[in-house]
Amino acid sequence: MKTYLLAGLSAAILAVSSVGAAAQTKLNRNEIINSLQGAQQEVDLTADQMQKAAIENIRKYPGANSPHDMPLSAKLATLRQFNVEITFEFDSDRIRPDSYETVGLIADALHTPYLQGQTFVIVGHTDAKGPRQYNLDLSIKRAQAVREALVTTFQVPGQYLFAVGLGEEQLRDPSKPDAAVNRRVQLINLGYK
Amino acid sequence: MRQLIFAITAFAMLASAPAVAQTVGFAEAIKMLGASCGKDIETYCKSASLANNGITNCLEKNKAKVSAKCNADRVTVLSLIRERLAAQASVAQICSRDSAQYCKGVKEGAGHILRCLLKAQPSVSAKCNTAIDLAGYR
Repeated sequence: MKTYLLAGLSAAILAVSSVGAAAQTKLNRNEIINSLQGAQQEVDLTADQMQKAAIENIRKYPGANSPHDMPLSAKLATLRQFNVEITFEFDSDRIRPDSYETVGLIADALHTPYLQGQTFVIVGHTDAKGPRQYNLDLSIKRAQAVREALVTTFQVPGQYLFAVGLGEEQLRDPSKPDAAVNRRVQLINLGYK
Repeated sequence: MRQLIFAITAFAMLASAPAVAQTVGFAEAIKMLGASCGKDIETYCKSASLANNGITNCLEKNKAKVSAKCNADRVTVLSLIRERLAAQASVAQICSRDSAQYCKGVKEGAGHILRCLLKAQPSVSAKCNTAIDLAGYR
């Protein structure tokens, strides 16, 4: 009799602790949803305008590093957004298997009714190492790779999802231009179109 | 006797827990692919990408060489993703009567109806509650 009880209890404790461990994972779907939801009804900004602003910034202010923030950066800062880290193969737009889960989490979030029907931009950023144009091109390819994975493998509706690369034109920490914190994928809610 | 009943109840609860959540999220599904096939992907699919089923197609092409665990799990992953998508696609229809009854006048979009249905859970039909669970919307 006692054995039954013990067995029952220990199994129950095991179940509880495994739930606890799952709750501690660094990133979860609801965190993404909470940061992205509640967009303004109409955001006066398109993915195309964002991409052009970065290209223009390099053309107008050439040099190893951008002398100042990209136009639109103040506006971007006001939008609902979330930063994730996705690791890619060096010099490539190939998403590494250890980041599949993160892409899946974005899919989990975008597939909820809380975010459906709103337009999102996936924005790729690099650090400031290397030429700006090269970084811009690589970040565009990487943002597109994430978009493609979401649209094909996870069937996120493509008409609401855009990819933009900002290279090193919008550093997260301009005081440390080469720092890893600048390499990121940003999700920005552009609201209802 | 009471102890035995308690133990049995505990077991029954444990056994029934996984039965409720029959689908898993996209993150959990694709994580399995990374975990079970990561090594094979790095060996045989170095140039394939996650987009356009590149990885799945590559693993299929190399199925004679990839590990047994990967071969078993890559198929599971695809069906898990399909099941979750199907579950999400059917919620609105399965819950339409409950929405009309308990969420009358609630504005559509931005998850308002879902929020209402979640709040009304005790009154909402079992069918609709299950559909919400399977869609991963709770």
